[in-house]
Amino acid sequence: MSAPEGSAAPRTVIITGGSRGLGEGIVQHFLDAGDRVATCARSETDAVRTWQKDPAYDGRFLFREVDLADREACTAFVKDVLGEWKSVDILVNNAGVARDGILALFSDEDTDTVIDLNLKATIHLSRQIVRNMLAHGGGRIVNISSITGLTGYRGLSVYGATKAALDGFTRGLAREVGSRKITVNSIASGYLKTEMSHGLDDGQLQQIIRRTPAGRLGDPEDIARAIAFLVDEKNDWITGQVLVVDGGLTA
Amino acid sequence: MNEVETRIVAIVTELLERSDREDLTVTLESRLHGDDGLGLDSLQTAELSAILEDELGTDPFGAGLLPETVGEVVAFYADQAAASA
Repeated sequence: MSAPEGSAAPRTVIITGGSRGLGEGIVQHFLDAGDRVATCARSETDAVRTWQKDPAYDGRFLFREVDLADREACTAFVKDVLGEWKSVDILVNNAGVARDGILALFSDEDTDTVIDLNLKATIHLSRQIVRNMLAHGGGRIVNISSITGLTGYRGLSVYGATKAALDGFTRGLAREVGSRKITVNSIASGYLKTEMSHGLDDGQLQQIIRRTPAGRLGDPEDIARAIAFLVDEKNDWITGQVLVVDGGLTA
Repeated sequence: MNEVETRIVAIVTELLERSDREDLTVTLESRLHGDDGLGLDSLQTAELSAILEDELGTDPFGAGLLPETVGEVVAFYADQAAASA
């Protein structure tokens, strides 16, 4: 199925939400490893344009502007990827949205937005890719979860609920497809520098840093390296797990 | 057997080989499920659905049908071909 880094045989990887932040870092990691990478986001960014123009990634980078919560658009994205590369070795479900605010003042529209993308769209996309992996004899799925799904965080109750649900999805799906050489794991990410855009203000971030044993916020590369470990071809005995990567914050 | 019948029987046979059940003979009359048939479980049925879609572009399970025999799977594609003719 998959080749180790530096190998001549590239793996085909789908990373959702790869245009900025954590997703951008994950895409860069797999491109650097020599893999074929397909990603999607609601809008094109400078990072995407750079990858598209770079001859080093010619023929092994695919981007589509897609709102994954739109099922037809999501299905079309998957068809594009399969039309290009036939099968998928690795799926990283990274796309997600956070809306902050205490629940008593939260709107139903924001609830729908968060659940539609973080959960329903992830399940819809995963279903299609699992079918491809079943037909082609295996694969790796990594769901990007969050420690807010484990510990909770004031003002992120809906977001945290979707991440906790994602971990449940990981466990159930891992049991379903474990016998078919497909592993499914979650990475519960701690707070990253890119979280600035997720509704945490500077005061909250400084408090998080003080409470983190590693003494810093995470970088996308911290998460990308953990993903690389979970999708390694040799790591076929780790499945249905939630790997916390948070600088020790929840230790 | 025509080309589609041969292909589908080959797909089902290959699926059974994956589960070390190559001793079973697949015919158009073979029932997909149950002890008196090929005994596909739900995951094997999902695999069959996925492989059919992957190789033939569509599949009866994805279309909301529940074929009970290999022949009924073949009939799905025959109906499709007739509808598009």
